[in-house]
Amino acid sequence: MSLVNPVFVDEVKRSGEFNANACMNCGVCSAVCPMGIELLPRKLFRYVLLGLQDKVLENRETVYSCLLCGMCEANCPAGVNIAENVRSLRYYMNKKVFKI
Amino acid sequence: MSDRRMGVYICHCGGNISDYVDVERVRQTIVNEPGVVVAKTVVSACSDDSQQQMIQDIREQNLDGLVVASCSPKLHTFTFRSLARRAGLNPYRYTQVNVREQCSWTHTDDREGATKKAIRLIRAGIARTGLTEPLEPIRIDTVPQALVVGGGIAGLRAAIGLADIGISVFLVEKSAAFGGWVSRFGEMYPHGKNGRQLITKLIDEVKKRKNITSFTNAELVEKSGSIGNFNAKIRVNGKGGKKDDINVNVGSIIIATGFDAYQPGEGEYGYGVDGVFTLPEFKELLDKSKGVPVRNGKEIKDIVYVYCVGSRQPEDLENPNRYCSRYCCNAAVHSSILVSERNPKARQYHLIRDMRTYGKYELLYGESRERGSTYLRFGDDDPPVVEKCSDGKIKVTVKDLLTFGEEMEIKADVVVLVTGMVPKKNEELVGALKLPVGRDRFYNEIHPKLRPVETVVDGVFICGACQGPKNSSETVASALAAVTQSASILKKGYVELDPLMAVVYPELCQWCGECEKVCPYSAIEKSGDQGREVARINKAGCKGCGGCVPVCPRDAIDLKGYTDAQMKAMIDGYLRDGDTPLS
Repeated sequence: MSLVNPVFVDEVKRSGEFNANACMNCGVCSAVCPMGIELLPRKLFRYVLLGLQDKVLENRETVYSCLLCGMCEANCPAGVNIAENVRSLRYYMNKKVFKI
Repeated sequence: MSDRRMGVYICHCGGNISDYVDVERVRQTIVNEPGVVVAKTVVSACSDDSQQQMIQDIREQNLDGLVVASCSPKLHTFTFRSLARRAGLNPYRYTQVNVREQCSWTHTDDREGATKKAIRLIRAGIARTGLTEPLEPIRIDTVPQALVVGGGIAGLRAAIGLADIGISVFLVEKSAAFGGWVSRFGEMYPHGKNGRQLITKLIDEVKKRKNITSFTNAELVEKSGSIGNFNAKIRVNGKGGKKDDINVNVGSIIIATGFDAYQPGEGEYGYGVDGVFTLPEFKELLDKSKGVPVRNGKEIKDIVYVYCVGSRQPEDLENPNRYCSRYCCNAAVHSSILVSERNPKARQYHLIRDMRTYGKYELLYGESRERGSTYLRFGDDDPPVVEKCSDGKIKVTVKDLLTFGEEMEIKADVVVLVTGMVPKKNEELVGALKLPVGRDRFYNEIHPKLRPVETVVDGVFICGACQGPKNSSETVASALAAVTQSASILKKGYVELDPLMAVVYPELCQWCGECEKVCPYSAIEKSGDQGREVARINKAGCKGCGGCVPVCPRDAIDLKGYTDAQMKAMIDGYLRDGDTPLS
């Protein structure tokens, strides 16, 4: 059971340009991801959008596994800036978790 | 021997029939049937060429009966009736025999059997045709007035439409005021128009028209007569229980009685917990608060919407609503946009089963996501649980299929149950009009695509949400369709009905009332004939279903076009063995 934390998504958003609202959950991004990690990138974004802070922090390695190759972004039918979103998520983690 | 002169045409249907039925053998066998003077095979009976040939034969050979053995009567009855008329033959002296759907298409593995069956079917058709008599359509004069039941957006718009094409209207509303559901709505999708203002405008238009007579606190309680000429009794409930009955004479009746909102049971998705609302209740709350939406003086921050409440219910429920209410996805998404316009900081979670923002409303769905609404999807068998929390918030637990079935908990200020439409309970009206009610308990049209506002009761039309869930623009479109259908009867001044209907032989009838009891259209009544009580058929009401014929203990009722004598002759025709000629 995870608690939805509505403030979390606002914090992530403030830290960069995170915006995955247009996502309609088609899953193309995960299908084309060369890393083949279940979480990347759709499920990770669901965690952020839903404010499942614990889940995101538990999976910090995954956040840094992304190659930022942009395959997902090139194929996203909703025009979500996926790679950019991963960057802002890392920015948030760097600041809040690793305090750098 | 028969003194009839009949023509029989057996169609190849371009191979559809002739590939599996030996049409030439059929022709050679039936050419000797009594009364047959012309028997031909044709490649395609419905083609202009073949029709021309048939017309020529009818004229030159002076034929008095026509049998076409081709496809289903559903396809070409009217084609060949019209051919007969053009050739100078009474259209009701023609019989369609179906040797395609019933022979060639069903018995592709049995040429011999299909051929013999075709012979039997055609023999029966010839036997029926031999006993036909010339019939003419029944002409009924129509009264240029209409009755509209229900004064919501559909009824109001229909009344104005009828009035503007010169048909006087009686508009009857059960409650104390016109306007129905839409008069309670503020801003509506997709154009942001205000429901109350729309209704005010329509009521003003109704008032401007002298040929609309409107009644509130009134009901339709009785109806007699039939298409083109109904007598309707309107009961007006006055102050202090005083009731006035008003009788009006109308040519058509439009039913626009609308819907009820689904009312969740106590505890259904937490209904009853403070802060859990149905969609109409939430819309009312939204309309009441100007600016940032508030409840009990507090800003509403976290909102959870639970979709499909009262719609698409599982089969094992008692009287389940199996249908999708179709308007609610759009209405809930639109409400969430209104919320985010007034309070961009509000956080909204939509728990959906499927998203059905069909057509142009898809744009609303996109807009709501852009504005920050988050959508979670729950499984049919795993609905969210709504509970009261000790901190005054409402806890919603849901397994989100879009996050691989992750179970999560949302704390909300307000939970909105996105409730659908249910049929309005109106048993008196259904009884008075004999309205056809479907399995979903909404009223039924004759044909969902081709006759969408007509009912099996001729001259009674349905429109709007009494027929099934619709949004207001779809409702108005169907109201105007009902106007057109009404006008097409009433402006012409008369209607023509198929004469294939019941007929009473008064000399045999002793009025026992059995026929009246079984007639589903109330088209039989007691009447006098030379001092005796006998049954009388109301020709405008009879549909020719034949239900009354077998119950008559004295065989005093027959069905024109399908008389007992014809049916017996057809059975004899079927029963004779394949190739045996008549002895």
